[in-house]
Amino acid sequence: MRAEVAEDQQLGNLFSLETFPAGAISEVVSAGPVSGVGLVVAGLLGDSDECSPYPELVLIDGADSFDPASFSAAACSRVLWVRCRAAMEMLKTADLLARDGNVPLLLFDATGLARKEVQAFPASSWWRLRQTVEGNGGRLVVITAFAMVPCAARRWQLAADLSLRDFDCARAELRQRLRITGERLHRVS
Amino acid sequence: MFAALHIPDFSVAAVLRRRSDLIGYPCAILAAGVADDPKGKLPLASLNRAARLAGIRPGWPLNRALVRCPDLRVLPRDPNAEADLLGELIELAESLTPDFEITTADLLILDLPQKTSLTSLHLTEAEIWHARAATPDLAGLAARHELTQGRHLQVGDLATVPLDLLRTLAIDSAPFGLLKMWGLKTLGEFMALPRQALTERLGSHAGRWHDLLHGKTCRLLRLHRPPESLVQKIDFEDSVISLEPLVFTLKRLLHTLSGRLASRHLAVACLELRLILETGAEIPRSIRLPEPQNTVQGMLAPLQTWLDSLQLTAAITALELDAETTFASASQREWFGRQLPQPERWAETLARLEMLLGPERVGIPVPPVTHAPDAFTLRSAAGPPVSMVENSPHPACPVPLHRYRPPREIAVAHESNGVYPMPLALLTGPYPGRIIDARGPYPASGAWWEPTGSWQRLEWDIQLASRQLLRLVHHPPDGWQLEGVYQ
Repeated sequence: MRAEVAEDQQLGNLFSLETFPAGAISEVVSAGPVSGVGLVVAGLLGDSDECSPYPELVLIDGADSFDPASFSAAACSRVLWVRCRAAMEMLKTADLLARDGNVPLLLFDATGLARKEVQAFPASSWWRLRQTVEGNGGRLVVITAFAMVPCAARRWQLAADLSLRDFDCARAELRQRLRITGERLHRVS
Repeated sequence: MFAALHIPDFSVAAVLRRRSDLIGYPCAILAAGVADDPKGKLPLASLNRAARLAGIRPGWPLNRALVRCPDLRVLPRDPNAEADLLGELIELAESLTPDFEITTADLLILDLPQKTSLTSLHLTEAEIWHARAATPDLAGLAARHELTQGRHLQVGDLATVPLDLLRTLAIDSAPFGLLKMWGLKTLGEFMALPRQALTERLGSHAGRWHDLLHGKTCRLLRLHRPPESLVQKIDFEDSVISLEPLVFTLKRLLHTLSGRLASRHLAVACLELRLILETGAEIPRSIRLPEPQNTVQGMLAPLQTWLDSLQLTAAITALELDAETTFASASQREWFGRQLPQPERWAETLARLEMLLGPERVGIPVPPVTHAPDAFTLRSAAGPPVSMVENSPHPACPVPLHRYRPPREIAVAHESNGVYPMPLALLTGPYPGRIIDARGPYPASGAWWEPTGSWQRLEWDIQLASRQLLRLVHHPPDGWQLEGVYQ
């Protein structure tokens, strides 16, 4: 595996569907005590005041930690929230939704899981998931506290040094302050 | 040939069927809310035979009727009893012909072959008048009067019938005053007048009555059709304890349903399945399909997925399947709105997820409308699409909370600052450490009017020396919880 590292990538790109390559797995790794992962999810849900008739992304929530009160009703209408209780439930859910192919973006949020649980994911399951999303052009984005997907096409490291004073700023302004380090991963045979 | 069935004094007859103790007494029902009299005297709307024999007539004010007949019993209307009586009359008509019209609550007009006999018609504790005629309106008029009921009416037979019978056809009673002033008392006298002159003086409706009485108009009946039901039920001879026979039976029902829908050019929007267990318990399930379906496989797949996930405590003795229908979608998909690319898979995937995770674990979150902590609701993603402009407030904090469910109980070092405690450091929990910055307290309370559900709390947003941003909650008098982490 060879990685090309691009420092301080333009941030706005991380909040749109097109950032993540179709038919592949991407990985967003949170670094530091306040990484701004929640801001990435908020950015993907958008700032529109209009409710969406169908979900536009699926949040596979490993620790059942999504807080609807932190988002507007219009933003919430864009997400199908899957509340898992165990790591294996997450994998099975991701497999079902990837095969379904109705929602173009799957967020696999493993940030609330303990390292031991995350390491218990069999590596073969990631390859199987990649094969599934390759087949239907879906996008699977794994959000985690440390890199764990061996077959990720893109990987971003996310960091933000936020303090309580930043709670007075607008969400869009905080998104601009996120520090992102991107890696493009190639397999070398 | 048309026949008419009429229940005389319908309202009072319906009430007296339930009040057998009043049979034989003069009884009346008032016409509530139609008092034209400025003194507010309510007229009598319906009388029984005993009241008529006492000399009372419908339309009399109550005080006049009581002077004539002090024993008169005034009864309240009973809409339920009237509905039951009308239901029985409809059943009777259905036993004769499927083509009939419910003209009014007390009159049914039937399109009937001439040979069918009406003499044996009978209703429990209610009288039926019937008549036949060449046109539906003549049959209706004939069945309403004692002189002509029971007869096969010819046009001239109405000549001796009082003119007031025409009131059943009229909305406006003004022409009848004029006809009375002209000295007309019977329908025969009305029929003898020239049609053209009547129309010029009384309006076009008088001409229509004239035509009707001479049998010149034969309108089409507004046929009554009972609402269609697609319910199918199967009682198993031996109780079912495995999935295979259940799916086999279900498939059979769906084949029938599919055939019936295809003949009507309809499709299923929602399937209602009800399982009846040996214990008497019932398990209902409503599955809304993402797109209208009328193929067996399309309808069976979500049902089978749900049945796969069922864990029953008793065997199944019966199965009931109903369907809510809609028009099959034949329209082109929207160009500018997002739609599900494979909607037929969507319901099945959601059902599989529910099977995997359990109920209330998959859905579209709806933010709370109260300040109660974690009071969100989940909307089913399989329901009809919701498209609306939402004006709900935006969240106060720009950084989304990563919430602990349930909140973590922790120990906190704090000092008392007059009214509220001030946290200094977290002693236990996932992030022990010194608090370097805090915002709060934000006091909140709710449901204080409920004896058991009231809540009260103080919230802080805190930052630790390790840079973690957390939400800390204090429940008086001495409970501390870590509600979540800002990531």
